[in-house]
Amino acid sequence: MKDLTFHSQLIEGIQVHMLPVEKFKTNLISVHIHLPLQEETVTLASLLPHVIRKGSQRYPDMTAIQRHLNELYGAEFYVEVSKKGEKQYIVFQMEILNEQFISEEKLLLEEGFAFLGEMMYSPLLEGEGFAQGYVELEKESLRKKIEGLIDDKMRYANQRLTEEMCKEEPYRLLAQGIKERIPEITAEQLYGFYQEVIQSYPMDVYVVGNFAEEKVLNLIDNYFSRGKGEKQTVPPTDYGRKGREENLITEEMDVSQGKLNIGLRTHINFAEEEYLPLMMYNGVLGGFPHSKLFTNVREKASLAYYAVSRLESSKGLMMIMSGIESDNFDKAVQIIKEQLKMMVDGEISDLEIQQTKAALGNQFQESFDSARGLIDFNYLGQLNGNVRSLTEMIQGLEDVTKEEMMDVGKKIELDTIYFLRGKGEEK
Amino acid sequence: MKKEEFTQLNETVYHEKLENGLEVYIVPKPTYSKTYATFTTRYGSIDNEFQIQGQDQVKVPDGIAHFLEHKMFEEEEGDVFMKFASHGASANAFTSFDRTAYLFSSTRDIDTNLETLIDFVQNPYFTHENVEKEKGIIGQEIRMYEDDPDWRVYFGLIESLYHQFPVRIDIAGTVESIQKIDKDILYRCYETFYHPGNMLLFIVGNVEPEKTMELIRQNQGKKTFKELPKVERFYPQEPEGVGKEKSVIYLPVGIPKCFMGFKDQTGFVQGDLWLKREVEMEILMDILFSPGSAIYQKLYERGLINDGFGGDFTGEEYYGFSIIGGGTKDPDQMVSLITDELKTQGSQGIDEELFALSKRKKIGEFLRSLNSLEYIANSYTRFRFADTDLFKTLDVLEKVTLQDVNQRFKDHFNFQSFAVSVVTSKE
Repeated sequence: MKDLTFHSQLIEGIQVHMLPVEKFKTNLISVHIHLPLQEETVTLASLLPHVIRKGSQRYPDMTAIQRHLNELYGAEFYVEVSKKGEKQYIVFQMEILNEQFISEEKLLLEEGFAFLGEMMYSPLLEGEGFAQGYVELEKESLRKKIEGLIDDKMRYANQRLTEEMCKEEPYRLLAQGIKERIPEITAEQLYGFYQEVIQSYPMDVYVVGNFAEEKVLNLIDNYFSRGKGEKQTVPPTDYGRKGREENLITEEMDVSQGKLNIGLRTHINFAEEEYLPLMMYNGVLGGFPHSKLFTNVREKASLAYYAVSRLESSKGLMMIMSGIESDNFDKAVQIIKEQLKMMVDGEISDLEIQQTKAALGNQFQESFDSARGLIDFNYLGQLNGNVRSLTEMIQGLEDVTKEEMMDVGKKIELDTIYFLRGKGEEK
Repeated sequence: MKKEEFTQLNETVYHEKLENGLEVYIVPKPTYSKTYATFTTRYGSIDNEFQIQGQDQVKVPDGIAHFLEHKMFEEEEGDVFMKFASHGASANAFTSFDRTAYLFSSTRDIDTNLETLIDFVQNPYFTHENVEKEKGIIGQEIRMYEDDPDWRVYFGLIESLYHQFPVRIDIAGTVESIQKIDKDILYRCYETFYHPGNMLLFIVGNVEPEKTMELIRQNQGKKTFKELPKVERFYPQEPEGVGKEKSVIYLPVGIPKCFMGFKDQTGFVQGDLWLKREVEMEILMDILFSPGSAIYQKLYERGLINDGFGGDFTGEEYYGFSIIGGGTKDPDQMVSLITDELKTQGSQGIDEELFALSKRKKIGEFLRSLNSLEYIANSYTRFRFADTDLFKTLDVLEKVTLQDVNQRFKDHFNFQSFAVSVVTSKE
């Protein structure tokens, strides 16, 4: 399979990454802006794209927006706010049908850029701020979104663990922002913040699909712009902090299943050489159905339906998650710790290594078939200051040795155990 | 092997019915790096009462199709996940109301992985011990869903809509019902529903159709099967009207969830008529409930909905229902606003221009969905089981008329078959 690599260049302060490829029936345009994850701005940044999404000068409400998108054969316009490490980022995305599939003459790709440009650069204004009505409705909607985090217990437990573990670090913050900070936001303040964001924070524009690069550069030049002023730099994520001596947090809720989440610090970031052995370590421990956690917590002990470990590759965290009967807490923790010890002691079979290399290699290979997968992987590299190709990763994986994995294991510290248990149950 | 080309879609389907009755479909995607395959039986959670000609009629415990799906992964030599992992495949399975599907995706060793898939599904291995052990695992899967408000509000609605049709029974059963499962009942279900003549193998991705088909012919040629059993499935006669008008479930949630829906009155339907209903309902749900629709706008402006609001239709051969809703601060107000709007719009009929725009959107959306190999395999199988063809969707979309959709509106949104489901916090 030939490698698919983005062609990147800087135009007018915008990092443009293009990947012409014929296999998809659509073209995908994805604009990413990132900023520091910090208390003062996290809630503003979270609210911003949702207000922008509700109306522009030309398309003042959802009815007008949807009508236009339908004319463009159901083009999809999507906004998102997320975080990687201690960087928060905003995404504006447009997926639009490839012109070859329609019979009429319509420049769909250009229409896509025109629409994105309109939404991002000509928001609906009132006086010195955004349209008041939308700001208030979206504030309310954001509040409900944050309150609704509790609905997904797995996610909620993971967030509670993160808050406890990173109490003194920005990473504790939700990318959705801080509920208590919502009421004070005004339409004027948000508009001021918007101008700063759109003009001076780092912007990456991705385009994946069937197009001519010249054409896309022209479209970006026509429809996107940046301020001439000074550009902001966003500090890198701190992933070096020492773990504490096993912190145990237990909380109760009216739930059927207890949620056991364990946070570990790896002190390794995506950009480093050791990231590949860390991926292997995580894969052998809990990345797959052949991994130690699945095999021992689920298949052998029959304690859980899921038992996995996941990496947060920018902050250098590893999160172990499992759903268990509340009474089985001690048993589950013990089995998980045994698996961690085996990793450090090098009780890792050649078969486990071979299977994990195959499974991770397959994951990377499969990313080639998803425009979003390709973009996400490149952006992870951009945010961490080391852009590697998927092919490099696939080759690098092959060379990882058991000793390298053991070395990684020695660096990993168990920091916090969080347990959400059912109410009124005895331990 | 038959070859069918869909030039407008740029897709080709190869098909053969093998001597043992197995239907095999292959869609080559030479530009993709991965291959995705599903092996599906027409057997799901609703098939809980049946009779093989010459034997007694049986009623099996709730959740058994799903239990069987779990147990298929275990073989005398061990866990099938291990075999897939060694060849870089990611394997999985799912059980729905009507089907059980086993699947893998992988970017290498396709032939080996394909044979592993076919062989493990055709080789049941149930023992008393491995069945008992699985009860703990599935028990935790059930507990996990018990805590999931989205799942509960969904099932709350179906349970209300139906008096007795088994679609109202949770696919995984209950912790109590699965205790009644033993290896003999599992074998009995297996013998009844896993004959190749009741199954469909679908392969999409980086494969050469002729070579792959030959591999499958060889594989199947080596095995012997009993004659396809004559199976009669018994479904209870579902009375008109709903089982109950409203369901309320208490769970710790940040914001209440509310679904309302209608039980479709079509009765048994398959083939072209099934596809026509599918397309008409898609357009109808889009016009009525998608962002930008009149109903959506009214709800949004009153702060009654969040981003997750929408409408969806599920229609299979024996049953169908719509679901409308999402998170809301005030379920009663949401329901009453939608109810009023549906009554008004029903008497006015759908606007011609909105209809044309929605059709255009659906055409684009359908083409876009063909970027996903998973969508192609799963939907193609589903459509095939309803005796129609996924790739005919575009044709039907182009031909559907405003009159069709207005008629469907009258037929479907019947307030005699209407129920509401709410999940909310106590107090």
